[in-house]
Order: sequence, then structure tokens, then C-alpha cells
Amino acid sequence: MRSRAFAATSALIAVGALLVGCSGGSESGSDDDASSGPVTLEYWAWGTAQAPMVEAWNEAHPDIQVKHTDAGGGSDSSAKLLTATRADNAPDVSVVEYQTLPAMIVGDVAADITEYVDDDLKSQFTDATWGLTTFNDAIYGVPQDVGPMAFIYNQARLDELGVPVPTTWAEFKTASAAVRAADPTTYLATFNTTEFGFFAGMAQQAGGEWWSVDGETWTVGIDDEASMEVADYWQDLIDNDLVKVEDLLTPQWNQEVNAGQVLSWPSALWAPGVIYGVAEGMAGQWAMAPLPQWTPGDSKVAYQGGSAVVVTTSSKHPKEAAEFAAWINSSDEGADIQLETGQYPASTLGQTKAETSDPPLLMPQQTDFWQLASEIAGNTIPNISWGPNVNVAQSAFQDAMAKAVKDGTPLSEALTATQEVVVEDMKTTGFDVSE
Amino acid sequence: MARPTLAHDTERTPFMSKALPTAVILIGALYCLVPVAWVLVASTKSRSELFTTFTFAPGTGFIENLKDLFAYGGGQYVSWAFNSLLYAGVGAVLSVVVSAMAGYGLAKYQFRGRNLIFYAILAGVLIPGITLAIPQYLLMSQIGFAGSYASVLLPVIVSPFGIYLCRVFAAASVPVETIEAARLDGAGEARIFTNIGVPMMLPGMVTVFMLQFVGIWNNFLLPFIMLSDQDKYPITVGLYTLLSKGSGEPALYSIAIIGAAVSIIPLVALLLFLQRFWRLDLISGGLKG
Amino acid sequence: MTTTTTTPTTTSTGSTRTPKKRTRSPIAPYVFVAPAVVLYIAFLLVPMLYSIYLSFRGMRLVSGGAFGKRKSVFIGFENYISALTDPEFIAGFGRLAIYGAIAIPLTLGLALLFALLLDLGATRAKRFSRTSIFIPYAVPGVVATLMWGFMYLPLTSPFSYITRELGWGTIPFLEDPWIFGSVANIAIWGGVGFNMIIIYTSLRGIPSELYDAARIDGANEWQIAMRVKVPLVTPALVLTGLFAVIGTLQVYGEPTTLRPMTSAISQTWVPLMTIYRDAFVRDDLPRAAASSVFLAVITVVLSVILLRLTQKRAFGGES
Repeated sequence: MRSRAFAATSALIAVGALLVGCSGGSESGSDDDASSGPVTLEYWAWGTAQAPMVEAWNEAHPDIQVKHTDAGGGSDSSAKLLTATRADNAPDVSVVEYQTLPAMIVGDVAADITEYVDDDLKSQFTDATWGLTTFNDAIYGVPQDVGPMAFIYNQARLDELGVPVPTTWAEFKTASAAVRAADPTTYLATFNTTEFGFFAGMAQQAGGEWWSVDGETWTVGIDDEASMEVADYWQDLIDNDLVKVEDLLTPQWNQEVNAGQVLSWPSALWAPGVIYGVAEGMAGQWAMAPLPQWTPGDSKVAYQGGSAVVVTTSSKHPKEAAEFAAWINSSDEGADIQLETGQYPASTLGQTKAETSDPPLLMPQQTDFWQLASEIAGNTIPNISWGPNVNVAQSAFQDAMAKAVKDGTPLSEALTATQEVVVEDMKTTGFDVSE
Repeated sequence: MARPTLAHDTERTPFMSKALPTAVILIGALYCLVPVAWVLVASTKSRSELFTTFTFAPGTGFIENLKDLFAYGGGQYVSWAFNSLLYAGVGAVLSVVVSAMAGYGLAKYQFRGRNLIFYAILAGVLIPGITLAIPQYLLMSQIGFAGSYASVLLPVIVSPFGIYLCRVFAAASVPVETIEAARLDGAGEARIFTNIGVPMMLPGMVTVFMLQFVGIWNNFLLPFIMLSDQDKYPITVGLYTLLSKGSGEPALYSIAIIGAAVSIIPLVALLLFLQRFWRLDLISGGLKG
Repeated sequence: MTTTTTTPTTTSTGSTRTPKKRTRSPIAPYVFVAPAVVLYIAFLLVPMLYSIYLSFRGMRLVSGGAFGKRKSVFIGFENYISALTDPEFIAGFGRLAIYGAIAIPLTLGLALLFALLLDLGATRAKRFSRTSIFIPYAVPGVVATLMWGFMYLPLTSPFSYITRELGWGTIPFLEDPWIFGSVANIAIWGGVGFNMIIIYTSLRGIPSELYDAARIDGANEWQIAMRVKVPLVTPALVLTGLFAVIGTLQVYGEPTTLRPMTSAISQTWVPLMTIYRDAFVRDDLPRAAASSVFLAVITVVLSVILLRLTQKRAFGGES
């Protein structure tokens, strides 16, 4: 008797352990009660804009309730999204960076939402922006924010050193040399080996095309002529000690920005908020200008960063999910929240609204900030396409660049190495890649 | 400890042979304390002081940092601390129960498959965590547990090392004669275990509890892979996310530092308190068993 | 409580053989081990087998086209071949060897040294030292790395501050080849205390008569330590050594947390980091599974070799 009772207890512990799980594990994926009661959507997104946007949506749409989860920043979140999809555990809707969107499509994460999208929504975005989420005529997401590239610089220090703001990359080199000459402890900018998006943006500006599709065939151009020129350009600056090789946003870098020893950050429209976050004391001293150009008089720039909202293939409510994705990125309420929280909206409505809002906290003196921003946004290069394995490219690029800098080998060789890894990976997967 | 006074404890030694060992071990103590002292000092520094004043100069931002820490993400730090406590506390208790039962069973009974079970469990020590974490995640998802508290709790309950230790403890501290005597008195096996086995194994069980508690508390990979909702993160993963914000979002160093400082205090206290109950001697004693 | 450390447990294990079959239920032992076995199967064995299964599959394009979907198909040993011919993955083992060559001997050596010092009558401030050295055990690896990371950064490092004041410049803790020592140091810092306690408790279990005998023979404290104490705590050293080796093969958290602070640590710095990258950055779970199966095999092989080698020694020392 005793041992039977004991056996029962023992079994209870094992079962109990599983029950502990049940009570806590009831919120996987999407609920299947479409017919009864309101639909609940799960939404993965990071950044301060998301919570108020979701709140606004939930208030306006009692029948479709959205639960927001912060699953980490861009790279952590997309890694989790892929794994969650394999595990059939993905949310209904998620924010995805433009450059990882193709990987999400071939990874079967992002669903084709063409049938849920009308022309009305499409008309809310410029063609260049809309192109970021359209592949082979299928729509895979709604653009949320964009990051047209721009030049953010320490105006006060440049004035003090008597260095003019560069408008071309040739002038950027001259300015770097002038800064070094005027104050040997100071650099105009840093070059860092991890900023894949920045380098890709510069290459695109120079006419490079890292991925392109022709019918069924991919062409990879990470080591194309334009990109190699960009590599050689930075190589020259590094070799002559005109820029410092250093990672961004490390304590060291932040310190140098605060001390006025790093005077600019060629990046994108979102940068003022980031600099303000690490160097509050610099408010009023920094300003924004258009990114330097390869050809004098040109004004084209690429995007660096920015993200879209996708509906996942795991979602059981793709129609409602697409509705949510469209609303937060094209409604009045959505645009207001984006501007309040420092996102540069992808929609033309948001961009128009931006023109009348206050300049970023870092540069209150620059009253024409948003006009300038909208001008820059109007000059972005259309039809930039990212490949299906940007994740592979990015990690290969970062390691190859870091190695090149460490070993003193040319940056151009790092690009060649990245190209090889990317092509090899695409071939293994089964893509048709032209040589 | 009940060891009688040792002859060499009282022996007189020349000054050098007394000062040298003391000096060496004090250097060791210093080495271990410096980073802890640093994090405590750094937690008093305001954001601007952190990178500008001398490392070991106390700052003026302690209260401010504390407020920032508890305000971050709407009080996320408190949930992280609570989660860590939940994972480590509940996980360690369940683990001790399962390990004690298995260890006792393996040590005190002769049965078919005993060696197979024992060696299979022992081999579990050798499997790298990540080898398991990925398939565990996929399997957890299959049954709909991924992302839940259970997904972090369940895999840590079975601890090969804990079972191994409990077997050693049971073998060493529960005499067969006592068990036999109880059987003659007509006690059932379960009763013998709970009334005789458990009290005798208690010091060993405290040891396993501590090892598991610290092990789960320090665990990073499993919760990092299993969880997507930041509100369910334990402290380790939470602090990591503060440090690794992507470009476009600056890392929150001062919050991470005070978060680290606050998180180690209770654990150190618990460890110092439970230290007296440890039976680590048996860990190595049983190796050849 | 009395310490029974050195009593060979083989005897007590042997005596568990129950002499007679009594009326007791034969299912009792199975009931005792059932929860552990069930959980073991569910959370160790099944995932392990699943890993092996996954390692023979690959994500391949099935529907064709520039944006075709990738699906999981059987690809034989392709993952193993590509992992083992990946120079970066193999180089990771090389870096791991350098790291281990620093971390393992120093962790064990310092732990043994401190344990012997604690056991020495002449040492003062024992309680304080023992507690201080043990404290790092309670500090999670992520937090330890955060603290040490700041002690390495030129801007906040007190060590570099001192060397700068002395006119020697900044210590490049976070650059090659210093980075190996810097990462190893974090592991040493975290591991010395725990290992010290294990060895120390073993030392406390040695009957003092053994020392008296040695002293009568004219041995000094140093000789006693080397000739009597060290051989007697060999089992403890073997165990701590085994854990150190396993821990080394599974290094992941420290370099990963340190990575944002330095470019000397690549994404494939150690094997587990490559595995993580393959699984989560490159979305290649099968390849990650193959690599981790390989890593598990290496761990088992190394552990068995270590136990074989040291067991002979341990027995040799005792006879």
C-alpha cells in the first residue's frame, strides 16, 4: 500500500513538473478563437515608439487587440524571429530591418500581404520607400521608419578649428587632414569595422549594387568596382591617420565625442537622438548637413537603417495583422507618436508633419532641421535591393573587416572575402547565382 | 567543524614563514575583491562621471542611478530580480527533491538497470549546454512552452551532477543497518526515505541546493534562447540586453553597472549564510565510487 | 559532524548490496529514480537525439526562384564536412587551446595554493581570505565580464591609470594577444574560490597523524604539503580539473559579453560562438547542430582521456 502511495506521489512530482509548465505556457503563438470574441495579435518590436502606438491601436480597435513584446533590438529580434518560426512559435506581426527583410522572406518568416494591401496605402509612401518592402511584385511589409543618410557633426568645434563642413568625400579627406593638423588629439571621424549598413550605404551612393535579381538569377556585387573604391577611400584615410579605427558607441568613443575629440558621424537621420543619448552636454553644438557626395553637385544618398512591419507566415489572422501594420504606419495617430519618440516616419504624411515639429534635442539651434531632412529623404536612391542572406554577409563583413584592420591587410581584400562567403552560401542553399 | 586541534596549528613558526603565507593569501583576497569594490564604487557615479573621473573615486549619482534603475522599462529590473529568484529558487528546490530521490534510489538499492541509469546520467555532465539548448527550444515550442517560465524551469530540474552528488551523499551518510532495522519494524520504503534518509542526507541536499541555485542564477544561454519577452528575463539576460543595445540605441552603462551591483549583494549574502552547511568534501571523496 | 572524506566510498557502495530479498516491494527503487529518469529523457536524451537528427539535415531551396522558400531536407554528412573544413571553426579550437592553457593551470594552481595556505597553521586572516576568495563564485559570468571589462577599458582601467601615471602608457588588455589573458582572467577569477573550497575541504579531512609522522621524519611544512597533502587531495584535483576542461570547451558567455568592447573578439572566436552564430545569425540550425555534436564528442573524448590518465596517477599516489 505504502509503496503504491509512494509511486503515486512520485508520478505526481513528474506530472506536477509538467503542469507547472502548462500554467505558464499558455501564450504561445496566436490564439485560434477567430470566431468568438476579439482577435489577439502578438507584435514584436523594439524602441520607445512601439508601446504608445499599440496603445493607440487597441483603443481604436476593440475587436483586434495587440499585445506588444520587446524581443530585443534588430539583430537579436530577427534571430529569434527565425528560430521562433522554425518552432512554429512566431508572433503575428513583427518589426524587421529592411536589410534583413529578404532573409525573412526566404526564411519563410514574412508573409506575402499583397492581397491585403490597397493602392490607398501604397500612395502614402514614395516609390523609393515602398520599394524597400516589395520584391518581385509581391509586398512583404509596410515601411515604418527610414534612415536617409546624413552628416552629423560638431559644428562648434569645426568652427573653432576653422574647418568647413565637407560637401564631397574629397573635401571630407581635406577636412580630416585639417582637423588633424589643427589639433593632433582630435579626429574628424572614426572608421569602424562593424558598421555593415554604413559601408553598404556608401557603396550604394557610389553606384555599387551588392545584390541584384534578374529573373531567377542573383548577382552579388559586394566587391564591385564602386565598393572597392569606397574601401580604397577609407584605406587611404586610415593609412594616413586621418580617421581613427574605433568601434562606435563604446565608452571610449562616447568619451571622445563628449570631449570634442571625435567631431562627426556620417550616418543617418536618426543619429542626433543617439548622440544625445550618450552626450547630452553636446546639445546646441552639433548640427546636421547632407552627406558628402562622390561627385560635386550630386545629392543622392542611400538609406542606413530603418525598418518595416511584417506579417508572419505563422499568423492565423493575416488580414487583421496586415490591417494593424498598415494603420500604425500610415495613420495620423501613428505619425504623431513616431515624431514624439524620435522616429523619422516612412510615410509621406509623417514626413510632412515632421517639417513643422521641433528640431531634435541635440541641435535645437538648427531650426531648419526637418526641412533639410525632408529634402534629403527626397533624394534617396530608389530600388535598392538586399539579398536573401544579408545576415551571412553582415557577419562575414564584420569579421573580415576587423581582421583586415588588425593584420594591416587591405580593406578591399575583406570585401573580396565577404563576397566569396556570400556567394558560396547562396549556392549551397540552392540559389542561382551568376558569376 | 569537529576536527580536534591539530598539532601544526599551534606550532610556533618564525616570522617569515608566518608573514609570507598570510601576505600571499591576502593578495589573493584582494584580487577577488577589487572588481566587486569597483562595481560598488562605479555604481555611485553619475553618467558623466563614469568615464571622466578616476576609476576608484566615488561619484555623486548613487541615488539618481538607483532611481533610473528601478524606473527603467517601467520597473523591469524588479521583474528580472523576481524572475531570477523564481527560476533559481523553484528550480533548485525541485532539483534537490528529484536528485535526492534518484541518488538515494541508486545508492541504496540493487536493481536491474541501475548502472545503466547511473552512467547515462553521469554522461549528461559532459554535454555542452548549447547542444541541448537549441533542440530544447524547438521541442519546447512543439508542446507550446517556449517563452514561458516553464521553458526555463523544466530543463534545469534534472541535474546530472546533483544526482551524482546525492548518490555519493546517500552512500556515505545513510547506513544500511539503519534501513534494515526500519524495515524489520515494518516501515515502508517511502517512509524510510522521508524519515531516515532525508534527515541524514540533509547537509548534502543543502549543498546540491546551493550548487543548483547559483548555477541557475548564473545561467545565461538557456533563458537567452528560450525567452523573447523581456518581462520574463532573469537578471543575467536583462543586464546583457542593457549592454548590447544595437547601433541607434546607446548602451545603458550606468544602469547596467548599478544593476550588477544590486544583483550581487543578495546572492553573496545567501552564499555566506549557507556556506556553513556545505558538504563539498564529499564531492571529491566520491569520485572513485 | 565528522568528515569521512578519504574513506573510499567503494566500500559503502559495495555494502548497499542487500543481502536477502525481503518483503519489500521490487518497484521501490524504480519509483525513486522515475522522476529523474523521465526528466532526463525529456530534457537531455531526446534533445540530444534531436540534435543528431538535425545535424543530417539542411535548409535548401525547394521551390526555386529568386525568393524561393527554403525547406529542411536530408543532406547526409554535408554539415559535418562543411563545419570541419571551415578554417574559422577549427581556428576557434586553436584559440580555445590558448585560452585553456592559461585558464586551467592557473585556476587549479591558485586554488591549490590558496587551499594549502588556508590549511597552514601559520597563515593569518583565514576567515576573511577564504570568504573573499569565494565571493566571485556568486557573481554571474555576465556580471563578472561587465566588471572586468571596465577594468580593462583604457578609459576606466585602474591598472592602465597606474601605468600611465608611471609613464608606461596604457595596457592593451583588449587587444591581441593580451585578450587571451584577459578573457582567461575572468574565468580564473570566477573559478578559483569554488575549486579552492573543494580542495580545502579535502585537506581538512586528512588525519593529522599523517603530518605528525612526516614531521618526526624531519619534513618541513613545504615538504609536507608537496609529499603528503597534494597526493592525498589528488581525487579533488582530478575532479576540479575535469570540470575546468569541460568548462573551457563550453566557453561562451565571457567573450560574447566582452565583444561589444573590443574588435579583437570575432563572432567565431571560440567554437560555441560559431555554433551560436550559425544557429541564430545565419539561421543554419542544422550546421550548428552538427558542430555541437562534434563539440560534445570532443568533450567526452577529452574527459575520458583525462580520467584514464589521472586515475592511474591517483592510485599510484595512494599506494
